[in-house]
Amino acid sequence: MKPGDLKGFGDPESVTEAVTARSVKKKARGGHGAGHVSEVVRTATHRGHRITVKTTYTIDVDGTPIAGHFGVTDDGQVHYHAVPNVSFDSAIDMVKKLIDAFPDDFPPCPDCDAVGHDAAHADHDHPHHDAGHGGGH
Amino acid sequence: MLTMTTPTTTPATVEVTDMAVVRRNIVTDTRSRDRFVEGVKLLKAEHLGPTTRDLGIPGRAVPVSTYDLFVGWHHMAMESFTPASQGDRNAAHRGPAFLPWHRFMLLLLERSLQRVLRDRTFGLPYWDWAADGEARPAQQPRSAVWSDACMGGQGDPVANGPFAFSSSDPRAWRVKVAANVHNQLVKTDRGLRRAFAKNGLPGLPRQAQVTAAVDLAVFDDAPWSTASPGFRNQLEGWRPANAAPGLHNRVHVWVGGDMLPSSSPNDPVFYLNHCNVDRLWASWQARHSEVPYVPGASAHADLTGHRLDDDLFAFMSRPMKPRDLIDVSAVYTYDVLAQ
Repeated sequence: MKPGDLKGFGDPESVTEAVTARSVKKKARGGHGAGHVSEVVRTATHRGHRITVKTTYTIDVDGTPIAGHFGVTDDGQVHYHAVPNVSFDSAIDMVKKLIDAFPDDFPPCPDCDAVGHDAAHADHDHPHHDAGHGGGH
Repeated sequence: MLTMTTPTTTPATVEVTDMAVVRRNIVTDTRSRDRFVEGVKLLKAEHLGPTTRDLGIPGRAVPVSTYDLFVGWHHMAMESFTPASQGDRNAAHRGPAFLPWHRFMLLLLERSLQRVLRDRTFGLPYWDWAADGEARPAQQPRSAVWSDACMGGQGDPVANGPFAFSSSDPRAWRVKVAANVHNQLVKTDRGLRRAFAKNGLPGLPRQAQVTAAVDLAVFDDAPWSTASPGFRNQLEGWRPANAAPGLHNRVHVWVGGDMLPSSSPNDPVFYLNHCNVDRLWASWQARHSEVPYVPGASAHADLTGHRLDDDLFAFMSRPMKPRDLIDVSAVYTYDVLAQ
């Protein structure tokens, strides 16, 4: 790259033109839409056999669904695009992190017994035991 | 439309210079530090015309600052899966394009800062976080980068330094667009958040981990994702698995607060982190000058967006390709490369 290759980069007119153009394109852009059920499909081959693993998550907090897209990597780590720099052994751990990371989205829940809830479900908080329907990693 | 909420007049262009700028350590170079702070505040106050609708945010359209356009760009890149049939690799992360895409982003930010600062010699500063990682964990939140004169400290909201929040000061740093828990970009109006070492990571990356990454002799490899061997994935922070999150990822997680979500450029520390990541890539390139960027131009179409001659995901400019970003020595250099 030469300095001249950057001519116009960051200039107001070029920024405005690019954003306007990309904004229009964005409306037609694909990708994962937000939904309350998140399905992950993983495939692999082994000795000539094709493996397909579908993992479906339906997650809510205080009865409110988490609508973004969850992912599972081939090594079984769970991740969520709203907290992109970390993966989790456990989906429960991941959702706890979401509650920490997005305090504005989780107002106090007067009907929830937080201490009792955690204690009652402590045995679920293990890697690979909470991967949702059709799970397994 | 071009409006500024400060009396400053924004120059329309930045003169192209033949001289490569030098990117320096923010802790030791006070001029770079002060100009960076001044520049990001100018970009935060500049409104060129785009609105929240251009970022796909529903509801009443609100002008978006140039600084916040970068926030939106990063978020949109992160939700653009490559290819759309899988949910791991996106246009800027979890795959080979991680390094060239962020180099592209930093270049555009640097050019924008040069414009508003009217200073064509300005180079982005970097934060050598591994140097701080050598201190005891309890000392790391008190390192120089978090001083009042540099980035300020932690809090909800951050209450000291140049990005401290004040509800009565309209010029105070405000987060205006951010990702919510559903990974949708939404309007907000609040102070910046940081929460050091609150996410299960007591310490920043250490120098030995940087050295181990720079020593790797492969840039990237199949499956071109978070499971890949090679330098890119180790620098991004997914490998080695028993140390994840490492390096780049660890810095995001350690700083916490607004550095966690896909809208992490809300915190100017984002750029200090990524400038250091880019410095480490430059260090790796100097060490392994014979090793090519991969995947090459003819790799499988599933890698579209990451191959040598693919357009990187653009929003605020024309696209660039990884090939354009391999040798940037005529545009900028670093004062010191990692050993």
